[in-house]
Amino acid sequence: MTADEPENLSPAGGPDAGYEAFVRLLVEHEPRLRAYLRGLLPTWADVEEVMQNASLVAWRKFSEFQQDTNFGGWLLTIARFEALKHRRNMARSPLVFSDDVWDLLASESSAEADPAHRRREALEKCLGKLPGAQRELVLQAHTPGARLKEIARQSGSSEQAFYKTIQRLRAALLECISRTLAQEGQA
Amino acid sequence: MSNDALHRLIAAWLDGRITAEDSAALQETLRTSPEARGEFRRWTQLDAALREQAERGVEAAVAEKIVPVRFRTLGWLAAAASFAALLGISALWMHDRRHVAAPQLAHQAPEQTNTGCAILTRATDAEFADATGLRVGDTIRPGALRLTRGAAQIEFFSGASMILQAGASLELVSPWEAVCRAGKVTVRVPPPAQGFKLRTAGMDLVDLGTEFGVNADAGGATEVHVFEGKVEAHPENAAMQLLSTGQSLRRAGDHTLSPGQAKPEDFPSIEGLNAISASHAQARYDAWWQYVQKENSDPRLIGCFLFKHWRDDRWDRFINNFAEPRVTSRSGGAVGARWTEGRWPMKDALEFKSPGDRVRVNLGQETYSAITLAAWVRVDGLDRKYNALLLTDGYDPGNPHWQIYEDGRLMFSVAYPIPGELDAKKKNNQIYYSPPVFDLTNQRRWHHIAVTYDNQSGAAVQYLDGREISREVSPFHQPGRPLHFGFCEIGNWGLPTQGHQFPIRNFNGRIDEFLIYQAALTPAEIHELFESGKPE
Repeated sequence: MTADEPENLSPAGGPDAGYEAFVRLLVEHEPRLRAYLRGLLPTWADVEEVMQNASLVAWRKFSEFQQDTNFGGWLLTIARFEALKHRRNMARSPLVFSDDVWDLLASESSAEADPAHRRREALEKCLGKLPGAQRELVLQAHTPGARLKEIARQSGSSEQAFYKTIQRLRAALLECISRTLAQEGQA
Repeated sequence: MSNDALHRLIAAWLDGRITAEDSAALQETLRTSPEARGEFRRWTQLDAALREQAERGVEAAVAEKIVPVRFRTLGWLAAAASFAALLGISALWMHDRRHVAAPQLAHQAPEQTNTGCAILTRATDAEFADATGLRVGDTIRPGALRLTRGAAQIEFFSGASMILQAGASLELVSPWEAVCRAGKVTVRVPPPAQGFKLRTAGMDLVDLGTEFGVNADAGGATEVHVFEGKVEAHPENAAMQLLSTGQSLRRAGDHTLSPGQAKPEDFPSIEGLNAISASHAQARYDAWWQYVQKENSDPRLIGCFLFKHWRDDRWDRFINNFAEPRVTSRSGGAVGARWTEGRWPMKDALEFKSPGDRVRVNLGQETYSAITLAAWVRVDGLDRKYNALLLTDGYDPGNPHWQIYEDGRLMFSVAYPIPGELDAKKKNNQIYYSPPVFDLTNQRRWHHIAVTYDNQSGAAVQYLDGREISREVSPFHQPGRPLHFGFCEIGNWGLPTQGHQFPIRNFNGRIDEFLIYQAALTPAEIHELFESGKPE
């Protein structure tokens, strides 16, 4: 009898344990890293680029990372520094916050209220409660590469009305997520 | 700044369309208000989470792009030259990522809570207005409950039970209280639930034990009939009346009180509900039986286990394979598992409980290029790390394994030797997980589960109750490698050789239909299997 459990199977290349441990941690903390950077950088292109840089730096420094300490916190510290570097090269625009506001956001955002998986589950639940057409719309608007103007045109509403709708749906989802998490918090 | 104004500014920033003026206002608020910064964080986190969700939606919709999309999450990582080596194990992460996540989830999850006040215990051809997904066994939360079709029975946590007729409009308040806004209901109150209160537009009723019927009509009149025991009737602006067996009271729309006009047989009764649920079950069963008698001559079908108990099988262990033409060698043998009731009272099922319970089957030496496994199961608990549905005796190349992982995800897997690897024991394990489907809320009731796998496209598609829930291609996939069953087991794993330790993967629950095809059925065909066999 051959075991079919993943852990009993050797991977194809036989890489060393360091890679595997690192990738495992990175994959686990990726959603948190993304959310953190999204709160600091104005576009998803910026976020993706800084994620890439931060991950590479984290990998190079991985030998310095103390196993069994907080990988998430360590990774966000690196990410913050990389985001700051990236910011220096960005052109001035209304999307780029001033240094003091940026510092406040960067230092406060690393603490996490609820574990990412619980927030994700809550979001899934709340998306499920939206009427189908609204759920479709909100997901469409958040699909990578989505062009909001285009979606507004297709949905047959004016741009302003469309932005308002998306804003309301976001607010409704956040409200629902808070409520769901609060309910689950009561043991 | 008002919340709405703040939200407008944050949304404009997130969407990349904020004006210089608005940006200044937003920054000023963020600078001075910690609450605003908290709000900003929630919005940006939501933006990231929604993007992740939307990406997953794209994966499901565009099946052939699944691998690239999944890889894209880490694609940039692999793209960097110093990370070329990582590519080799990238496929492993995908499995490990999920594999690792599960125990953590189980570990961190808070104790499950429930905010219900009653359970839906029976539903016959029933449709509810505001709760479309409501199924027998579900907990019902306080709030409106309107039955638009059929009949239903609910049991309050206090012990009171209620039968509803189509047209009944209720509001459940607590385990001890409900409001009947319209329609007919009958309430039965056992001793521990004495004091259960049913309110209507013009009258509150407190049950002092046993049974009464209420009819609230659209004109504002309410009528109560006591079939057995005693009920306190509290009409609005009038004295309380104690009603005993056989007595009735009507409060008309104009507030006048009189004895009731309805007859006891006008109210829903448990006998009536029994009769219609029996005839409904018979009709569902007959429709299913007619369907499978056609379906079993589908040439793609190699295993058609319908779990019909053969009363004249003295040993009682024969599991007939109904696939036409009949191949006796492909019938099954039950070990340990006992006969019990299936989807309907007139349908048998096998119950798997003990670590040794199983059905042994030999599906022969043929190899296949595609397969479908489809079953009606009632999961009673996920006791093991891996809970067997159907597993081949070993796990040789091309042997399919179908299980439920401990966190409730369906899990299909097949393994093949690693290309170029000399050690034949080393294999690439193609594992496909569905999202979690079984949890405490949907255990102990009947569900249809299915998986299809096609060795050309490499797509494993999983279904729950006729609906596609996951579609995935393994990074290890190489087209054209054959699939093979041979000896296998339903509900357990592996014929232990003498003195050999074997992992325990016994299924805990009931199975009353198991179909195996040598082809990947289409989503429409899987949906039809569900529709033709659904219990209610």
